[in-house]
Amino acid sequence: MTLDAPFHDRTEYLPAASYRLLPFRFGRFDDHRYLLTNDVGEYVLLSRNDLVAFVEHRLDRGDGAYRALKSRHFLFDERSRVALDLLALKYRTRAEGVASFTGLHIFVVTLRCDHSCHYCQVSRQTEDRLHFDMTPAHADAALELTFRSPSKRIKIEFQGGEPLLNFDLIRHVVERGKEINRTHRRDLRFVIASNLSRLSDEVLSFCRTNGVYLSTSLDGPEDLHEAQRPLRGGHSYRTTTDNIRRAREALGPGFISALMTTTPASLMRVEEIIDEYVRQGFHSIFLRNLSPYGFAARTNLLRRCTIEDWIEFYKRGLARILKINAGGYPLREEFTSILLQKLFSPTGSNYVDLQSPAGIGIGAIVYNYDGSIYASDEGRMLAEMGDASFRLGHLDSDNYEKMMTSESLLSVLDKSMPEGAPMCNDCPFLPYCGADPVFHRVTQGDPVGHKAFSDFCKKQMATLRYVIGLLESDAGVRGTLLQWI
Amino acid sequence: MPIDEHVKSGINGSELLKFRDGSVRLEVDMRCYRLSAVQKVAYKLAEKCTVVLGGVDVTSLPITFLFPPATSEAVALDVIRLFFQDLLDQELREQIAEETRPLRALLLAHAFSKTNLIRRE
Repeated sequence: MTLDAPFHDRTEYLPAASYRLLPFRFGRFDDHRYLLTNDVGEYVLLSRNDLVAFVEHRLDRGDGAYRALKSRHFLFDERSRVALDLLALKYRTRAEGVASFTGLHIFVVTLRCDHSCHYCQVSRQTEDRLHFDMTPAHADAALELTFRSPSKRIKIEFQGGEPLLNFDLIRHVVERGKEINRTHRRDLRFVIASNLSRLSDEVLSFCRTNGVYLSTSLDGPEDLHEAQRPLRGGHSYRTTTDNIRRAREALGPGFISALMTTTPASLMRVEEIIDEYVRQGFHSIFLRNLSPYGFAARTNLLRRCTIEDWIEFYKRGLARILKINAGGYPLREEFTSILLQKLFSPTGSNYVDLQSPAGIGIGAIVYNYDGSIYASDEGRMLAEMGDASFRLGHLDSDNYEKMMTSESLLSVLDKSMPEGAPMCNDCPFLPYCGADPVFHRVTQGDPVGHKAFSDFCKKQMATLRYVIGLLESDAGVRGTLLQWI
Repeated sequence: MPIDEHVKSGINGSELLKFRDGSVRLEVDMRCYRLSAVQKVAYKLAEKCTVVLGGVDVTSLPITFLFPPATSEAVALDVIRLFFQDLLDQELREQIAEETRPLRALLLAHAFSKTNLIRRE
């Protein structure tokens, strides 16, 4: 507006009968508001009256709701010159990751482990059973497949069992992987997911030389960690925390991270668990719920730690974390960070378990100790329970083309896409959610699953509702949360 | 309009709404709702009850809600209220989908027209 034209033309204030709706989804958010979202992840909260007025083209141009809806691509009018172009660009940006698929390659270098965690999801084996180790020949074959993935960023994650029990193979894969990458020139990273009990000076020196990250488990204060993660010979807490300190000193603070698993024993202790992470100098924590695989599924742990229990645990935990941040100590909750990336980042999040199409095969591939190839880490856990639905092939007999075009992968990716799944396709949380066919296969016997009975769906809806509620209700909290993206 | 009035306006003979033998039977006025909307809402309620849809004619659709054993009348009628609340939302969704379908197709086509996702022979 210029001095020559100090007032808007009166037509500015006429009801905008000419606007058009752009595609969107909606659902009840709370007692008073509806959540509207679109395919590019924008959202608006409206009263039902405003929602109905919007859909019936009765919103006034001067209305706050009109401006919010227009600026976030829920409507366009004759003044929206680039609305469709911009929306298409945002959609393409959000979907472009699908074309450069499989960034995570998991090498299960051994199933042997020296811990006997009650909730172990991978059906570990005792330390003496060497035939549960991956062979160098299988590791080489797996590396060859890894570099067939078009992804520019490749992360090789060593898992177990306890992967450091087969450190020689880890060394071989890292060295050989770097050699191959001289030709491929990908952004190549390595992570060892370890309980750290075998973190020798030799391992630390190797990690430092090769920029290898460490990811460990810390379940909380000493008594809780000891009870949940018993180590043969005892002292699992002291072993873990001493080695966290050593790793941090040797590699730098950014090279060691930890996550926890929620069990019935942790449910009432979320504040203590979070305080333990602060005491150990961490600036992030992943409040992880129990998964229905391995020993966790065979025992009654899941019945004593339901998803509703975990949701309450998460809410209390997040409150504690926000309070710690308000006190000046930066601490991030990782699952919330993923949701926030989905809410606000133009490219969403690359977290494998929340992708559409699902992350199986195209988000992650698992090379198991015995040469079997699985479409996800949970897929191999399911196979240990006797269901090989997500087995893509074997390193001895199957090539990359056969593996990636197998009907067992493509048909599940196709069927489980939330955009076409009953209930999901109308859900306002869809842009921030994903498909988890392995979870639905194990809990309902079907990779799509009925979402009315789905704990995955309950968790996503409850956490997203809670996080959006926090973002909308408190400017200070919003400021903290937005720093986590 | 309060929800009870919505319920009455959408059900033929709503004053007869009764919870008997663990079930509620009613008829939905099909001049108010699309069959696809009724089907989607029925699917969504699966955790609370089983919804059996009868033969549809031009104006009405008989529906039976079968509740799990030990469901009280109050809980059952609350589910019926939820059904009609969701039905109104679902009708709105069907209306939006109808209006925006060509635009959604255009947007997707436009979004992917400048990618190399489709390899041209």
